[in-house]
Amino acid sequence: MNKTILGYVPEESPIYSLHPFVRVYFLMVVSLWPMIISSPEWNFALIVVMLILLEYSRVTLSTLKLYVPVSISMGVLILLSYTILGGRHPEFYEVFNLLGVPIYFERIVAAVEVYMRILPMIFVMVFFLSTSRERDILVAMRWARVPFTVTYLVAMSLRAVGMVIEDFSIVRQAEKARGYDPKGKSIPYKLRQFVMYIIPLMGLAIRRSEEFSNALVARGYSFTGLRRVKRPDYVLTKYHFKVLDGVIVAILSVALIALVYARYGLGLFTLEGSLTMKWLQQWLVGGAG
Amino acid sequence: MSAVIKFEHYSWKYTRTKVPALQDINLEIEEGALVGIIGPNDSGKTTLAYSMNGLIPNQYYGVRSGSVYVMGKEVKEYRQAELCQRVGLVFSDPEAQFTAMTVEDEVVFGMENLGLSIEEIERRLEWVVPLTDIGPLMDKPPYEVSGGQKQRVALASVLAMQPPILVLDEPTSMLDPIGRKKVFEVLRRLKEEYKSTIVVIEHSLEHLVPLADHMVLVHNGKVLLADETEPFFERMDFLMEHDVFPPGVMEFFFQLRLLGHYPNSLPLPRTLEEGTERLREMLVGGENG
Repeated sequence: MNKTILGYVPEESPIYSLHPFVRVYFLMVVSLWPMIISSPEWNFALIVVMLILLEYSRVTLSTLKLYVPVSISMGVLILLSYTILGGRHPEFYEVFNLLGVPIYFERIVAAVEVYMRILPMIFVMVFFLSTSRERDILVAMRWARVPFTVTYLVAMSLRAVGMVIEDFSIVRQAEKARGYDPKGKSIPYKLRQFVMYIIPLMGLAIRRSEEFSNALVARGYSFTGLRRVKRPDYVLTKYHFKVLDGVIVAILSVALIALVYARYGLGLFTLEGSLTMKWLQQWLVGGAG
Repeated sequence: MSAVIKFEHYSWKYTRTKVPALQDINLEIEEGALVGIIGPNDSGKTTLAYSMNGLIPNQYYGVRSGSVYVMGKEVKEYRQAELCQRVGLVFSDPEAQFTAMTVEDEVVFGMENLGLSIEEIERRLEWVVPLTDIGPLMDKPPYEVSGGQKQRVALASVLAMQPPILVLDEPTSMLDPIGRKKVFEVLRRLKEEYKSTIVVIEHSLEHLVPLADHMVLVHNGKVLLADETEPFFERMDFLMEHDVFPPGVMEFFFQLRLLGHYPNSLPLPRTLEEGTERLREMLVGGENG
């Protein structure tokens, strides 16, 4: 099994026949699609496609259960902020009144539209993070000729996130071992006590940055370009950009251009033409709309 | 044999401290020798190691006097990238020196910094990977392997740069007994098969003493004793007065010597096997006598 950012994928997964750049490009391009498409059913279709791709890539689909509570909470928050907290709009059609708060049809439609845009974006991200490792991001960047210093900065940031999480866990265990238990305390109390974590974490971060800098210098790395030699990229020799990779990149690029044209040139994928919205209108407004 | 590292009246004081970390150090390390540097915590051992590969004075603020020569040239006159090709440094905390996302990237990082060709990188990988026994780890993140494996990865990443001098700062301080044994097994091969010059700073003497050609005792920033290993440990009382605890087998035979059961003419055994053999000879000799 290959450990990815979000889990594990079998080594024989077909996703690994693709160059890492294709996977990063897929993430960048396909996550733009829901921003262009307004029609919820098309965004739902994208979710279905992502599920098929996850299954095809042999990602264990049961791990998606982890994201169900997040998705539901997000949906509820969006609905609340657009309806109950959406303000008073006499020009909108009032579907019903909830304890004196008018719930408008237009605000429900907006909430559904926004939610159905965010959800496929999350699925695209989950697909990418479930099938890629940190190394893939760096390889993609280096292959795209992003300067080494930039890619290295990204690598160090990714590395630092892991280290801070690890340090936080150590500090928390040390606090617990000395009898500090914030369970059952109020949120303001917990926030005040958070300083107890911040100070040792800062100290550890400073110490680690010193060690990290020593390690870089000891192995001949210099941000100032004093090496005076051309830096080879051994890692890139491990990956080959094949014809299939080129074809996929081309298809994704053409699809994005076609989508922009279809949406803004031909007026397709709009909210007005959406079957879901028509059904919603029929259900909530009936003949009144 | 010629001295590849030479300290001449060398002193170093960190800006933030009142007392010098090292005072008037005079020390020579010969080519091809394995030198063990021992002493209690805060005695200046790490400062000594950092002074050999230029981290001091390049990375730290302080007051320096005297000279440190590496292969005949004063450390201050080297460019850092040039010096790290002469002196490789392995730090005590392997995790602190990891800068890459996979073990393979970690090992090739230093070689890429040196500007080696891809063919040369591959050739060196073929040498260093079996030597340090890290083959099965190459695709894993370096911070997710075991402690002993981490230290072998750190060692491999420095060895791959093929520095003629290798300095290890407490390489086994975070390892279990098996991890320690494996690291010293690599050092044994480097000494015997590749005639490398190796400086090991170490608290645990059990594995160091059998391999070491010379030993150095550092205490309160001064070199109190430096000699070949056998005469060094003949000064057992002096060593124990300065918080050095020799391997159990040496201490046992030293006690036998004090009781008149072990002759002064014979050196103290360095390993358990050597000690067992000496004891067997003594017992057989006693029975025959």
